[in-house]
Amino acid sequence: MLGMLARRSTSRLLPVATAAVSAFLTVMPAAAARSADAQTTPQRVNPNAKAIAEFQEEINEYVELHRTLEKTLTPVPRDATPEMIDKYQRDLGRLIQQARKNQRAGDIFESDVRPVLRRLLAGLFNGPDGKKLRMAVAEENPGESVKLVVNGRYPDTIPLSSVPPQVLRTLPQLPEELEYRFIQSTLILLDVHAHIIVDYLTGAVPK
Amino acid sequence: MRTSRLLPAALLAVSLIWLAAALPGASGIAARQAPQPEIPLPNREGSFKFAVLGDFGTGERTQYQLGEQMAKVQERFPFELVITVGDNIYGGERPQDMKKKFEEPYKALISKGIKFYASLGNHDDRGQARYALFNMDGKTYYTFKAPGASVRFFALETDYLTPAQTAWFQKELASAGEDWKIPYFHHPLYSSGGRHGSQSDLATVLEPLFLKGGVSVVFAGHDHFYERIKPQKGITYFVTGSGGKLRRGDISKSTGLTAVGFDTDLAFLAAEIAGDRLFFNAISRTGAVIDSGVIERRKPE
Repeated sequence: MLGMLARRSTSRLLPVATAAVSAFLTVMPAAAARSADAQTTPQRVNPNAKAIAEFQEEINEYVELHRTLEKTLTPVPRDATPEMIDKYQRDLGRLIQQARKNQRAGDIFESDVRPVLRRLLAGLFNGPDGKKLRMAVAEENPGESVKLVVNGRYPDTIPLSSVPPQVLRTLPQLPEELEYRFIQSTLILLDVHAHIIVDYLTGAVPK
Repeated sequence: MRTSRLLPAALLAVSLIWLAAALPGASGIAARQAPQPEIPLPNREGSFKFAVLGDFGTGERTQYQLGEQMAKVQERFPFELVITVGDNIYGGERPQDMKKKFEEPYKALISKGIKFYASLGNHDDRGQARYALFNMDGKTYYTFKAPGASVRFFALETDYLTPAQTAWFQKELASAGEDWKIPYFHHPLYSSGGRHGSQSDLATVLEPLFLKGGVSVVFAGHDHFYERIKPQKGITYFVTGSGGKLRRGDISKSTGLTAVGFDTDLAFLAAEIAGDRLFFNAISRTGAVIDSGVIERRKPE
């Protein structure tokens, strides 16, 4: 999806995809049972696990692009000035925006994975701890007034939503360049080095 | 900080607290059971001294005033470092913001070489991890040993507590050989805040680690006031979230959690570790000591 800059490496993807499948099976015992059956009928693939593995591949592609572009910039030392940090962040944001200028919402949260993630999150937010999880996510949540734009800079004046550990344990794990955040009921993928919104999934927190 | 110098401030603090108790229904005054005598900081030579600050980076006049108060205290009580419990910078984080909201208000401390060790809050850009004056070494969660003392701090990122971070913390806590292990972070596990309050989702994950790891004291912010929580399973929790922001009257009296609360002005905390005891004074923008006490070190379970 990300073209020449994002060549897939099967060897790198394999552990991630395996981890994604494992993570999914942890929260879906019924699916795990079906997966065991699949060992005897290998042509059957759990569509949910497949969707998550593909989502991980999209993430990996994005991160490859991110890292490739980062290498073109002068690294920020670990004891940087505010000027260096700000410049780096904005320069990287611009490079990513240029490289992904044709991207649209749903290019990473693809159609197959959207219902899977919504179901996983619904299980949490409608579960026994749902009320406190909703409260945690809703705290200082900026609301729908934020215009979500793929590749757009996360608004400087708006605090980040908290993402409860239970949510992070349930969603597929992300590399350190990316974070999940919530804006109202929408789950966003935030590039933490460039401070831009990479993609978003509406209706992530059920009503 | 000698006892004699503290006395006027102590009297003022006790008076204010008594006033709070004497005014039924008075809004914006912290809950406290009864006036208590102040416990002065020993200010011993060779003991480890530090300060705690949270929710401060507004750039407003009151933040500067508390910064001046911190510098005054540091002259008499030479704390070596400041740990921050997040929301270090509100709003924009351009270079000029970092100056206005951090470098200028604490200029007197920074110029004396007092180091700030930041943790991140929900208002903080992750880029702060590389800001030299926050001493985070590029990491959003990290640990460091206090210079010359058997004390280890753990700065956690509770806004985004991943399984990897939890595993890291568990491992670091288990392998830490220091007597005092002090976690600090933004979201309070216990708080009487009407706006936010206790973060039970985090407590589920972190509290068992604190108990197992021999943690005695925990610092957090997020709620914009000062509160010392009654010990929970032997651990003393502080909310020190009024370094620049203040949510007047936000301490709910109905939680039953409050040992001492103060939500009428900005405050920071000065602490001293001498052997198995941690002494603390919470100090307001005007220099009043609004809370003080001693915490005995817990032994690991």
